[in-house]
Amino acid sequence: MKSRKKTEIQEVIQDNSRRSFLKKTLTGGAIASAASLGLMRDVFAKESGPIVIGHHAELTGGFSSWGYWHDKCAQAAVKVINEGGGIAGRKVVLETEDTESNPAIGARKLRSLIQRRKASFVVGSVHSGIMLASIPVATELKTPYFSAGEATEATGSKGTRYSFRTGTDTYALAAAGAPWAVENLGKNWTMIFPDYAWGHSHHAEHKKLIESMGGTVNDPIAVPLGTKDLVPYLSKIPEQTEVLFSVFFGALSVAFYSQSKSMRLDEKMKMYSVSGTIEAIDPRDIDGAAEGVFFLENFPRPLEYKDDEYHKRFIEMMNIDSVHAEEIGSDRIMAKSHAWQSYENFFALKAAIEMSGWQRDSDTPGVIEALEGLEMQNSLAHPQGSKLLRAEDHSGMIDCFISKVEDSKFVVKKRIPRDEMIAKLPPRYDFRKMSL
Amino acid sequence: MDLVFALALNGIVWGLIIALIALGLSIIFGLLDIINIAHGDFFMVGTVLAWTVLQTTGNYWLAFLLVPIIGFGLGLLINHAVIQPIKNAAALSIVATFGLSIILQESVRATYGAAPNRLVAPIQETLLLFGIQYEVYRIFAAAIAIFAICVFFGFLHKTKLGTWMRAVRFDPEIATAMGIPAHRIYMVTFGIGFAMAALGGVVAAPITTVDFQGGIDILPFCFMAVIIGGLGNLEGTVAAAVLLAFVEGIITSFTDPTIARIGSLIFMSAVLIVRPHGIFVGATR
Repeated sequence: MKSRKKTEIQEVIQDNSRRSFLKKTLTGGAIASAASLGLMRDVFAKESGPIVIGHHAELTGGFSSWGYWHDKCAQAAVKVINEGGGIAGRKVVLETEDTESNPAIGARKLRSLIQRRKASFVVGSVHSGIMLASIPVATELKTPYFSAGEATEATGSKGTRYSFRTGTDTYALAAAGAPWAVENLGKNWTMIFPDYAWGHSHHAEHKKLIESMGGTVNDPIAVPLGTKDLVPYLSKIPEQTEVLFSVFFGALSVAFYSQSKSMRLDEKMKMYSVSGTIEAIDPRDIDGAAEGVFFLENFPRPLEYKDDEYHKRFIEMMNIDSVHAEEIGSDRIMAKSHAWQSYENFFALKAAIEMSGWQRDSDTPGVIEALEGLEMQNSLAHPQGSKLLRAEDHSGMIDCFISKVEDSKFVVKKRIPRDEMIAKLPPRYDFRKMSL
Repeated sequence: MDLVFALALNGIVWGLIIALIALGLSIIFGLLDIINIAHGDFFMVGTVLAWTVLQTTGNYWLAFLLVPIIGFGLGLLINHAVIQPIKNAAALSIVATFGLSIILQESVRATYGAAPNRLVAPIQETLLLFGIQYEVYRIFAAAIAIFAICVFFGFLHKTKLGTWMRAVRFDPEIATAMGIPAHRIYMVTFGIGFAMAALGGVVAAPITTVDFQGGIDILPFCFMAVIIGGLGNLEGTVAAAVLLAFVEGIITSFTDPTIARIGSLIFMSAVLIVRPHGIFVGATR
């Protein structure tokens, strides 16, 4: 009897331990799964301690000449913020991931930045392909993502409530520059661009505007990426062309200017482009190949065209000269028309976090609402100038500049104020209709 | 019609420059069975060295002499450090040379910088040729390429070292049994392959750009020439490079250059299906 009772007790104990084991295992498994899925972020998020902001930058690969400056800007911004007491009294910790200038790697690194390195906000890529691959990831993980690339889709057809851009896109660049260029450079246009989304997007946006102003746009010339010899493409430019609009970046851009100069196209037509084409490149280093070309910029290279204490201080922080934007002690040229976003976006986040009273990741919808329609004043936080982050399409409305390369120096010919940009750029999307 | 002639001429010029670079790829494969993914980067190193010589000495012509010599030295070094340990293992050679390619690119990025540069041609004049302003330097570049290719074939067929190289390509075991120092021939061949790509870089730098990723895009065209010409067939490689660029030039005068490139790729696919050893007779090593 005693032994039977003992056996029953043992069975109960064993059963209990089995149940308890199963319960613990299942609970542990569920917690582990939830944690790996990112569902536990809010549970573990702290209301005090540092705020982690991620930077998703092109430190290596094809865009690394730009990425160096984006990284330098991000570090400078975090230093200034922390020296000023952080964000809402909390220190900012900068976590940087290298996208390797590759969209697939970039998307993976963004996941790592948010899930492994616990970034609550991300200041993102200037590479359009990476930016477009990253927005779905940021949206899925409910993390605000600032991009700096120009493909219009980021704040257009592929934009979401979580994607923001304080700089310009192809829509804004066309609206800013094309009217002036048609009026001052000529009405018959040929466009030559790399054969991918960025180039085609420029073509589509410019064509609409030029034709609406009575101009003619010849058949576009799309150059496959990686082309070395441009003669077959340049020889197809129609004789009657008055304005040759080119959109390239990096080596292809240098090849374009060199080879078009050799073929003396600049003697027959006016050359017009956007800042991305000459970003991080010094006209002095390409021996006059960019001479006489007009560029639409977001931020003038020489200090004299936005001569104020904030711009001066920004130039000091970047350790560049005030004419060519060349780094002191090296021959790097600042990718100034784009990299400022990796500086200013941290301050936009600071303002929105403090306005919304953000404490933890579950408060992020408040930050998004604060960013929508955020006004930023010309200041040390926003040295590019005053701007508006438009509520509907999360696009920055900023001053733009048309410059001409004269004696290897950028000379501003026209400033397009942000109010004019707002009037020219009606929002085509309203992300506020999307839920948070 | 003018445009047809202009683009056909430009095709031949560009094809000759590619032939010079692809020849290096072909001899490395022909002798060592190495599928050299880093060959485009050897070309890139040539452009960067040419730029460095010009910045240092102010004399571009010196680059035509110095850069192939430096390239040859680098080739010997790479052969010793990377190629010899994986000799006769084609699969490993792809992985090893891919790694080498990344190392070369990132080393150049870290030292020379990431921003592309322009190298001004030593001959600045242009000619009005078939309706377009054509750089005289391009014609000079083609002449240099022809000269270098002729010197290479002369070396291969008229010198003792060249005969040894051909012997080792034909049968390494018998060549070794006959007292030919096969190990040294491998080293020299890899060095020559690097030197030719580097010389191609010097010739092409004023036409293209100087950039740490400048070799990535040249590689597919070189591979196309090597495949169409017949793997390891040196004469076939030269003929295929010129033929491809010439035909692309003519097609481009009628249609989009992108379509011309698609045509080349279709042609290469057809060659791979119908004549996997290349279109030229006896196109095996």
